[in-house]
Amino acid sequence: MKTLNVRKSLAIVSAAALLVGATALAIPTAGAAAAAPTCKTDVKTNVETCTGALSNGAVYEIRVPHANFHGSMYFWAHGFRPTYAYPGYTPPNGKTVEELTPFSANTGKNITSQMLASGRAVAAFDRKTNGGYNWNAAESIPLMKELVDIAKAKYTSSLTKVIIYGSSGAGPLITGFNETYPGVADASGMMAGATNVSAALRTGCDLFYLLSVFADPNIKGCAAFGAAKGVNGHMLALQQLGLAGAVLTAWSKNLGAPALETPAAVKPYGIPQRSALLLIGLLGGLPTKSSHMDGITTNALIAEQSINSTVAILENFQDALGTATFTGQAIGEIAGAGFYDNTKTDFSSLLTEEDAARFNLGLSGDDGIAVMLGALKAAPRITGTPASVANYAKLYQPTYASTTPMVLLSNEADRLVLPGNAVQYNDRAQAAYQARLDTWNSQSGVKKGAKPLPNTLSIYAITPETYTKYTAAGLPDLAGAPAVSGVGHQSFTVKQSMTWVALMEISAYAKRVPSATVAQKYLAKTPYLSIDLDFRPGELKYEK
Amino acid sequence: MKIRASLTRRVFGRATTVTAGIAISALALSALPASAANDPGVTDTEIVLGMQLPQDGPASPGYNKVDDAMRAYFDYVNSKGGVYGRKIRLEVKNDQYKTGLTITTKDSLISKEKVFAFIGSVGTQTHLSVVKDINRRGIPDLFVNSGYSGLYTTPSKYPTTFGGLGTYVSEAKILGKYMKATFTTEKIGILYQTDDFGRNTVAGLATAGYTFEKGKTAATFIAGAQAQAGALDAPMQQLMDNKVEVVVVGAVASAYASAVASANKIGFKPKKWVVISVGSDATTFQTILYTKGIPLASSAALLAGTITSSHAPAPADATDEFVVAFKKINTDFNKGDKAWDNNVLQGMNIAYQMTSLLVNVGKTGVTRKNIISYLEKNGPSITGAGFAPLGYSATSHVAYTGFWIGAYDATASLKPIGAARQMWTTDSGTGPVTELTWTRPAIGADSLPKGFSAK
Repeated sequence: MKTLNVRKSLAIVSAAALLVGATALAIPTAGAAAAAPTCKTDVKTNVETCTGALSNGAVYEIRVPHANFHGSMYFWAHGFRPTYAYPGYTPPNGKTVEELTPFSANTGKNITSQMLASGRAVAAFDRKTNGGYNWNAAESIPLMKELVDIAKAKYTSSLTKVIIYGSSGAGPLITGFNETYPGVADASGMMAGATNVSAALRTGCDLFYLLSVFADPNIKGCAAFGAAKGVNGHMLALQQLGLAGAVLTAWSKNLGAPALETPAAVKPYGIPQRSALLLIGLLGGLPTKSSHMDGITTNALIAEQSINSTVAILENFQDALGTATFTGQAIGEIAGAGFYDNTKTDFSSLLTEEDAARFNLGLSGDDGIAVMLGALKAAPRITGTPASVANYAKLYQPTYASTTPMVLLSNEADRLVLPGNAVQYNDRAQAAYQARLDTWNSQSGVKKGAKPLPNTLSIYAITPETYTKYTAAGLPDLAGAPAVSGVGHQSFTVKQSMTWVALMEISAYAKRVPSATVAQKYLAKTPYLSIDLDFRPGELKYEK
Repeated sequence: MKIRASLTRRVFGRATTVTAGIAISALALSALPASAANDPGVTDTEIVLGMQLPQDGPASPGYNKVDDAMRAYFDYVNSKGGVYGRKIRLEVKNDQYKTGLTITTKDSLISKEKVFAFIGSVGTQTHLSVVKDINRRGIPDLFVNSGYSGLYTTPSKYPTTFGGLGTYVSEAKILGKYMKATFTTEKIGILYQTDDFGRNTVAGLATAGYTFEKGKTAATFIAGAQAQAGALDAPMQQLMDNKVEVVVVGAVASAYASAVASANKIGFKPKKWVVISVGSDATTFQTILYTKGIPLASSAALLAGTITSSHAPAPADATDEFVVAFKKINTDFNKGDKAWDNNVLQGMNIAYQMTSLLVNVGKTGVTRKNIISYLEKNGPSITGAGFAPLGYSATSHVAYTGFWIGAYDATASLKPIGAARQMWTTDSGTGPVTELTWTRPAIGADSLPKGFSAK
């Protein structure tokens, strides 16, 4: 098992699930008008590149493949970026566009060349973040609108379809954009989009708390976030991540074999620490597959499938905590310290009957489960600060009222933005569409208007069935290449990303998401995209 | 249409990629409805059913014969023209009793094989890992080969799932009543796996007045641990040390086999073993012990005297008309392991009942909703080899509500205890155990369910 690498976590968290400061989508008035773009066309490729600065100074870039441009321009928004510089990490400076199109951490590739080659124009902006809450939808939405307006003004006749798409922490930007400027985007897309920041962070806070109960009571987790602001606050938050990382590192070295000694009440029962690790992961809804662990394959050392999944949770854990750390500190700065309160949480209800059965051996059987949940019930809880808890409860959530077509793309085992985000968004958006349809069906006459069209499609990249490899010593090989699909965050193959791009474009022209028949035709031609449009890899533990 | 054509030209007229070409056809197709009017897996000529079970691996012995038996009966039905002209195709996935594979193969059965319903899937842990999703999608989940009561006693939780066995609770209640009357002076102990199976067994025995003390008369193990050599030595030693004379086993057959092997090893010779039926399957028991180097004759001797219960005729009962009919079909149509035993009988019976269900809902009634509705309203009318009626209703999806009690003889055949087979019935709660007076309907003509028609 790799040791916790804060530097790596910082890099990985580039797409962490975060909407900061979005207690409401109060859209500020635009600043000074942006200057006209500076453009240059490559004579060989006939691709025109335009650059400039938005009214707040944020840099933008537009590329248009004139040789085959068919009118669709894709406006990309990458996810969260930590605000402060750390060793090995430099925050956006607003002078360069970090990503013009989706970038895959697993493949190390973006899709800019494929987009241009297929006649699609691309655009994006980037800016300096001055404090965690500067990466927020309230700030980003008008900047995105500004960029769209610049592009439309420049390509008055040739730009016919505007597609707003983004990843991870840009989720609120995408949904908020459609709500704020209905009709501006012809279609939109979220890649591993964080759509329920509140629920995701609550789970992250639970993970810290559970580690404090079963491993190290010095861990304060979300109870410590937001107490200080700025660089100092973030450094203090990182200390929490470090404490948790030390536990995970120790567990990875001893493979969780020693008996559980914390809390003291569980010590007499001889429950191995790995059972607590597995329980914590299941209570948090972490994927039971990871980059290297398929949750299935066994050998002499990993004797049972639930042990394989335990290692998967260990592999996923550190990044999930990274998300909680950066999101938690940022939210803490906005909502106030003490935003997390678990005095009313019934942790035993977070363990599903299905999981208790499926992972029964890894959890040390019904007896082990009962002992651990009993100890958890008796453990002291975290009492939040009422005002901060109230602020936290007001975090932005999509209204699902937008009718702009939305195509979601997620990995089934994303450990940063759990796939339950997409599941929950899809459920609610489909329910909203059904309600619109029911209303329309109940009406008659000329006021009935146009029939509502389906506007949400959720697709998933899945893993191979099995992919765990073992070293000569029989240990899981966690250093090799990750699974070719379905794992990691914002990590998709070029083909998968381009299928997503195509589905968004079809939606833009049809003003609705593709039918099942059409969607499945595309999905079936793309390796490791599930053709099951009702696929449901996991659920968030909390509704809000 | 004119507008669409115009759009198509503007959008894709200059595009040079394959993607653009696909998109054009996609635009045309997008006018089609999102789903067909009929449920997946049903056409005028075919019904596709899906099943999951371990075909190999430690948990497979015995159970891995159920699918071949089911397919054999369906092939027999198909040889008669199918149900109302629809041939039945059984798609089977091997999950090796690994829940991760149960999930992926479930996904495949739904999205690729496009099954109409799941039928006869084997295993509690495995099925629990997929039951929620199957139910969420409204897919009938029929005749599940698990006795865990939690799958069936609250239909609002799993509305599409219906059992294929009696529950461990009701079986334990009936065995408990027998034990109370029979073992009046003996010290009773229990070995159970600390999961749904064991929990059900303990709950059932409690209604008969049995309580056990952990560490003394109650020996436990974590389900799955029995696969490790000697894993059940300590639990058996515990029961021996506490002078237990009758051991009840609430565990799968691989655990019972391991328990007997451990008891043998340490010299523990209980007066009787009383085993929930799933745990005493002769084929499974003997196959597992065979892999441990114990010859079949010796394992039959070890099994002899074991008390268990059953809802169906013993496979060796040559006087039973279902046994006779199914044996012939098995001989003629089974393309897999056709060695006749309890697992083959169970597979045949499930297929017979499924055929009966398809006959009863009618030619035009084969929809997922109809199937569920029919079973809740008319479930007991679906009969087969079982000596008890199916307990299906709107408030319960438990299958068999009655059992007879028997003991294995020296040839590993289950024989009724007493002069004749006596059926007992009870619920999966705290209701009483009473005698069952119910006459099993005769098998249909030509070994097909009553009302069968190929047209």
